[in-house]
This record gives sequence, C-alpha cells and structure tokens, in this order.
Amino acid sequence: MSGAEQREIDDRDVGIETFVERAEGYYAPTFERVQRGSLPRWHVNIWALLVPWAWAAARGVWLLFWLSLAIDVLALVCLMQVVKFSPLLAEAQLDAAANSTLVARYSTWVTNYGWAAAILFIGGRFWMGSSANRWYFSQYSRWRIDQAVPSGVDMKRLILGLVIVAIVAPLTTYRATQLRLDERACFNQMRAGEAVGQLMPSYGAADVTALLTSIDADIADMQTRFDALDAIDGRTEAQNAERSQLRRDVRDLSREREQVSDFQTISAVDRFDCAFIDDFPTLARLDPPADVTYRRVPNEDAIAQGDEDATKVIAQIKDPVEGRKVTVFTYSAESIDIGINKLRAQYAGFFDAMTNVLRQSLIRVEVAFMQTPWPVVAFLFLALSWAFAGKGTTVFVGASLGFLALFELWQIAMQTMALVVVSTAVCVFVGLPIGIWMAKNKYFRWITEPILDVMQTIPSLSYLVPAVAFFGISQPPAVLATVIFAMPPMIKLTALGILQVPESTKEAALAFGASERQLLRKVELPMSIPSIMAGLNQTIMLALSMATISAFIGAEGLGAIVTSALGDANAGKGLLAGIAIALVAMMIDRILKGIRNSFSRI
Amino acid sequence: MSVVELENVWKVFGERAPEAMKAIRADGIGKAEVLERFGAVVGVKDASFSVEEGEIFCLMGLSGSGKSTLVRHINRLIEPTAGTIRIMGEDIGAMKTEQLRATRADKIGMVFQNMALLPHRSVRDNIGFALELRGIDGYTRAQAADRALETVSLHGYGDRLPSELSGGMQQRVGLARALAADPEILLMDEPFSALDPLIRRNLQDEFLGLSQNLRKTTVFITHDLDEAIRMGDRIGIMKDGEIVQIGTAEDIVTAPADDYVADFVAGISRLKLVSASKIMTSVDAFAAVNGNVDLSAGCPEAAPDDDLDTLVGLSTGSDKPVLIKSDGAVVGIVTKDTLLRGLQGGEST
Repeated sequence: MSGAEQREIDDRDVGIETFVERAEGYYAPTFERVQRGSLPRWHVNIWALLVPWAWAAARGVWLLFWLSLAIDVLALVCLMQVVKFSPLLAEAQLDAAANSTLVARYSTWVTNYGWAAAILFIGGRFWMGSSANRWYFSQYSRWRIDQAVPSGVDMKRLILGLVIVAIVAPLTTYRATQLRLDERACFNQMRAGEAVGQLMPSYGAADVTALLTSIDADIADMQTRFDALDAIDGRTEAQNAERSQLRRDVRDLSREREQVSDFQTISAVDRFDCAFIDDFPTLARLDPPADVTYRRVPNEDAIAQGDEDATKVIAQIKDPVEGRKVTVFTYSAESIDIGINKLRAQYAGFFDAMTNVLRQSLIRVEVAFMQTPWPVVAFLFLALSWAFAGKGTTVFVGASLGFLALFELWQIAMQTMALVVVSTAVCVFVGLPIGIWMAKNKYFRWITEPILDVMQTIPSLSYLVPAVAFFGISQPPAVLATVIFAMPPMIKLTALGILQVPESTKEAALAFGASERQLLRKVELPMSIPSIMAGLNQTIMLALSMATISAFIGAEGLGAIVTSALGDANAGKGLLAGIAIALVAMMIDRILKGIRNSFSRI
Repeated sequence: MSVVELENVWKVFGERAPEAMKAIRADGIGKAEVLERFGAVVGVKDASFSVEEGEIFCLMGLSGSGKSTLVRHINRLIEPTAGTIRIMGEDIGAMKTEQLRATRADKIGMVFQNMALLPHRSVRDNIGFALELRGIDGYTRAQAADRALETVSLHGYGDRLPSELSGGMQQRVGLARALAADPEILLMDEPFSALDPLIRRNLQDEFLGLSQNLRKTTVFITHDLDEAIRMGDRIGIMKDGEIVQIGTAEDIVTAPADDYVADFVAGISRLKLVSASKIMTSVDAFAAVNGNVDLSAGCPEAAPDDDLDTLVGLSTGSDKPVLIKSDGAVVGIVTKDTLLRGLQGGEST
C-alpha cells in the first residue's frame, strides 16, 4: 500500500529567528541553554529586569505581563503607605509622650511597609528578569505547535500593555496615598449637585456664583418682609400665617443656599476622589414608577345584570411623594413589584386554580402516606430495600425508621415525604418531555441551558418571595419553589442520556426502518434509563433539601420543625429534625440506587 | 434487472452544499476549491454503479474515501446532493417517509462495523428488531429470530445479552438481524474489520457459504483488498469520493485503471486471480519466436479459465510449454517464461 497514503509535509517556518524577530543573537543561544538546563538562575534578561511589563507586552508573554504589573503595583502601594504614614508619624512625634501608642503604631507601619516595598521591588524584579527567558522559551514551544501564539515584537501589543499599565497603576497608587474618605462626603456632594441642578433653572442663573447672589437677595428680601411683619403688634390672622410661612421659606432657602455654597467649595480633588476611588458613583436618579395597587373587586355592573360572580380589576394610584428620587435598582424592583401585583390580580383565576390542583394532589398523597398504618409503610420501605438494595441497606432503612419512630417524627416525616413525592412527580412530568425536547432540538437547548443554570444558582429564598406573591403562603407555593429548584437535574440528565446514545446505534435503528417515535421509545429512552434514574435521584435529593427552606412559606413537615427551632434558637430540636431529614434522604437515595443498579444489570 | 442502481450520485457536505453543487456543475471546480469557496466537503463524487441480483459487489477504499457515505445512500440514511438511487427499479429518493421505512425494514438489511446492537435487549429481541418495527407479533418475531440465529450458527444464544458475547459472535448477531426480515439486499459496512484475523477469515468463509445459499444481493464495504477479492464478484475501488475502477478482481489486478489502483494491487498474489487467457501467447506469436516446434507430443494442457496456480502445477511436471485449449482447439501457449512473467505481473506479450 506504499504511496497510497500521502502525507502532507509540514513546511511551516518554526525557526527561532522567525519567532523572536529581534535580538536573535541573544535569544538563540539563551534558548539553547534553557533547553540544556544550563541557564543559571542569576542570568537576567536586562529588558525584563528594567521594564518587565513593557517587555512582556511587546513580546506577548501576557501571563508574565500581568504578574509583573501586579508585583510592581503592589510594591508601589507599599511605598505609598510609607509616604502616607511618614507625615503622620512626624506629627505624632512632636508630642511623643502623649501619643506613644500612635507613634509606636505608625513607626511599625512605616518600617514594615518600607521593607515590604523594598523586598517586593528588588526580589520581584530579579525574579522577573531571570524567569523571562524560561517563560519566553515555553511560549516558543507552544508557538511551534500553534502559530497563533504571539510571536515577535509587536508595537500594537506594547501600546496595549502601556495603556493597561496607565489604567491600573496611577489610580491604584493614588488611592494608596489617601486616607479613608469621609463616609458621607460623597453623598453630600451628590445632594449638593442635585440642589444646584434644581435651583439653577428656576433662578435662571448662569453659574453658581450668580445663583448664590440671587438666592442671597431672595433671602434678604424675605427676611425684610418677615422683620416688618414681626414688628407689628397685634397681627391679624392672615399676617400671622404669612409670617410663619416666611419663616419656613427663609429656613428652607437657607438650607438650599448652604448646599449651593457647599457645591461651590467642593475641591477638584474631592470630586475626583468621589468619582473614581470611592464606591462606584450613582449614575442615575429617577422619578419612581407610579405607585399603583391592583385589586380585584366585584363588578357591580355585571352583578346588576345577573352575573353574580363577576369581578373586575381596579387600579388605585397613590400620590407620589414630593421630590422622591430613586436609584435604578429601586426603580426596577418597584416596577417588578407592581407588575407581579397586576399579574396576580389579572389572572387570579389561573393562579387560584393552579394552587388548588397542587393542594388537592398534595392532600391526596399526604392522606396516602399519613393514613396508611405505619406498619404497612414501614414494611413497604423494608421490602423495597430488601428486594433492590440488599441486606446492608435494609438494616440502615430499619434503623432510620426506628429513629423516626423513637423521636415521634413519623407523621411529620410522612408529610415531608408527601411534599417530596408531589414535587418529584411534577418534576418528572414536566422535566422529562422538556429534557427530550432539549436533546432533540439544538436551538431549544441553547435557550434552555442558561435558564436551567439560573434556576439552579438563583438563591431559593429569592424566588420564595414571588411564589408567595402569586400563590400565597401555604403548601402549594412550597411545592412550586421545590419544583423550580429540583427540576434542572431531571431535565439535564434526561437530555444528556438521550444525547449519549451512540450515533451508530440510532443509525442502525433507522436503517431497519424505525420512525422518530420508535427511535425514541425503543432505542433512546431505554438506553438513557440509567441517566434518567440518576436525574430522578438528584431531583429527589434536592427536593428534600428544599424542605427546610420552603418551610419559611408554610410547608409542613420536618423542615417546619427546623425553621421553628431556628426562631427559638433551639439547637437540639433543630439538630434532631435535621438528622431526620438527612435519614429520609439517605433512605430514598439508597433504595433508588438499588433500583437503578438492578436496571443497569439488564 | 439490476437490484441496486446508482446514477451520478453526488454528496456534498456543508451548509452551502446546493451552491457548491451548482458551481461544480457549472464550472467543474475541484474538491479543494469547493472547500475554499463554500466551506463544503465533497463526500461522494459522481458515483454510478449497479448490482445484479445475487451478486456481491465490494466497495473498496481507504478510510475517508467515501465508501461508507456512499453505501448509506442506498437506504437513504444520507440524502444525495444530486443523482438517483433505484432499489429494484424504484427511485428511493422519491419515496414518502412511510414507504421509505417499509423499504428499509423489508427489503434492505444492514450490518455495521461496530455491530450497533441494542445493549438493553436480548439477542433474540435485537434480531427481531426490524420485524418489531413493522408491527409483527412477538411469537412470529421469535420464530424468525431463532431461524436467523440458526443460519449464523448461533443456535441457543437467543436469551443472552449482546454484552455477554464475543466480538465475532456479536457480528453474527448483527448479520442475523439483517437477515431476519429476509430482505433482498444486504448492505455490509466493513462488517469484519473490527475482528481479529482468524475470526474474520472464519466469518468471511461462512458468509460466502451463506450467500451461495441465500443469493442475497450484497454491497460489501471494506478497506482490505484481500477481503474484497475474496468476497466480491465485482469490486469498485474508491478514492477521494470517486469510484476509480469497477471490475472483477482479475480485471483490477491485471489491468489497473491508474497508478493509484496499480499501487494498491502491487502486493496481491496473482496465483489464484489471473487466468491462463490473460497471459498466454497466441500460437502464431509462439511460432514466430521459436520456429515450428511440434506441440502435439506430451505437452500439458489447460483451459483458458484455469488460474496460474494450476498452470504452475502443470508446468513443473514437464519441459514443454502448456497448451491452452478451448473446445479442443489450441488457442494459446504458456511457456515457463510467460508463466513467470505473468506471476510477477509483467506484460502478457
């Protein structure tokens, strides 16, 4: 078969001179010494020693660039601490006897920071200078495999590197020289700015000085009128009212004048500090959304026409608070609140129906668990574990049931089980088809995957609140919250299981005339059963772990004991109930694992 | 009538395949240019062949030559970009879904290199799979499966899981699955490539025996020329998606279409492949060289169809050249020189 297989000859130019572009005379022998292992530790690359970040940027050794930048900035920050505390130390030493603690503290700081700066700078530079060639060589090795790895000396990279240095280094260094900013300073600054912004147009002033002059004139004018009224003996009712009104106006205007004059005196440095080195500045302050409350009330017109149950949604708008401004966050949060309120009122029928379905099914399952005599339930558990999971697990299940019985948690545990069973059933009925669809449709998968990640990572407490808003406080919203939390693994593992079915097996089924449905039912689903069972198992575990959290919104069961123990700071009670939850979880987990294994044997 | 017929089948992979196909048609651009201009890969290039009833047609080529792609066009697991495929006279590309499924289940059986058995089903249920898809009842299925198992000499293994069987046995199950619905056509996609040489040889022999009885029209894919020669009534050699030569093993060995094929067949033993008629010299030419030698006395005789192996046997027993006789008349002469040169693969002059 010689010659039948032709090989492509690798003709890329991987020479050192192409890689380094400049100073080949230095790098060629150095790389050889690195390869031989004979490059001494004290050998330094002079450019990397002097301006490591510039060298690294120009050569495209980005990791070294960031490391050297970090070390240099750290050294600078330490040095700046010395600069910052030295004058304070000198000031304290003026009266050393009275300020002994201060002197001791400052001198320690100055010394320590001084040493740290020196060690970081000298040690860091030496390390960078001597490591540079090794790093550069390893980059050369990577470049030989993949020519997209940066090579040569590139001005654009150098400029980019210097821009990064310019953004990072000066501001950080400057921050290190400053003592902590006054907490209220920036807030006051912002308020002053707002006051000026409001007064400027109403006075029609061109600048702040002119504004101050007009305000002063106004105040003086009002003061004169007030004084005149004040001088009158036996004022009339109207005069009295005018007098107090004037006093209030003078007071308000004086306060605003204060702010305006504050605004004028704010130094450029303070402005800069507040904008760049303090907290992220508030970008926008908005008028709050209209405060609307939606209520469903009987519809009088329709009732008059004979429809007794007729209702309608009415909106009540509250007067806005004068001059209230809110941040974007508050604005959005309030808007969402209003939206939820409106949805709840608009589709009350739907939400009530859903709540009802969940409540009814929960009640049925609860009855099944709680009113089945305990020996029957216990026997079923033991029999299941015996049949599928072997002797050891049966002993464990027996012990766990004993624990529940001994601590009189039986009925409560059964309530928890009912909650878990209903939630899991919803997860399976909703999650399985979604998982199948996800496996079948790439676009749906792209949309669903991030949503599932959000469902799993968003703190469960934060969707308990909307659940309560829509469904009220009771078991049904607890089921829903549990479903949101516990469903993702069911969906993901179903999809994964189906996607894992080998292409060739599916192809064979198609070659023998399978339709899409037959392919799913006879090939894909049976072959993904282990994965689906793993998803079911995880879903159950997650549902159990939600038991405590959903107790906050009225779920009954073991979780409620934990929650109430939390309220009473009752450690023993909480711990025992917690162990009971863990035991229930482990029992179900072990039995399911047994069932799973007996499946995968086939 | 040909059972399987392919006519100018093209397959271009890629999102812009239709455009690429147009450009190929209009400008006759090559593979490299198609890749560059349309980001599309030419998988099969203008393939045409037909397979007669009961024939074993081998498609041979290296990996990546498009033979597996081509065979998947026959049961339309892959849609051709251009061209027609007819199964027993019917255009498979024009079939509706239902009809296509029926054709796949009833008329075409397929065997895969990696077996592709369903791991969660017993051997019997695997074999009955095609019947099950057609809605045949369980009892009939089991009967058919057991018959098929007997055919591939795996009687009694019906209740095992595929994972309990060895590779060779699994491939027998794969074959039984393809045979269970008694299809007219068998597509074998490198069925024995993943097996070790001894078992492969075994299965090849068994399959040859089987097909003599069953007379299934077979398209057999392989990357192994020896296997192709052993199995195939005719062989099609593929290179870069193109069928470069179609012919019997002897045609290909004695008259390779190009250097590529010649390179391929260079190492093949010609003993059993080449017949006397391919290397013999005519009586006149023999006389022209050797003068009028008396050929009547004591010359060994052979038929034109006899292979070189036979000729060697005859020739070693005698000093004289071998006479090739057809219907009692001498049609050619094979001397030791011609025989040796023929074995070597030289010209037949």
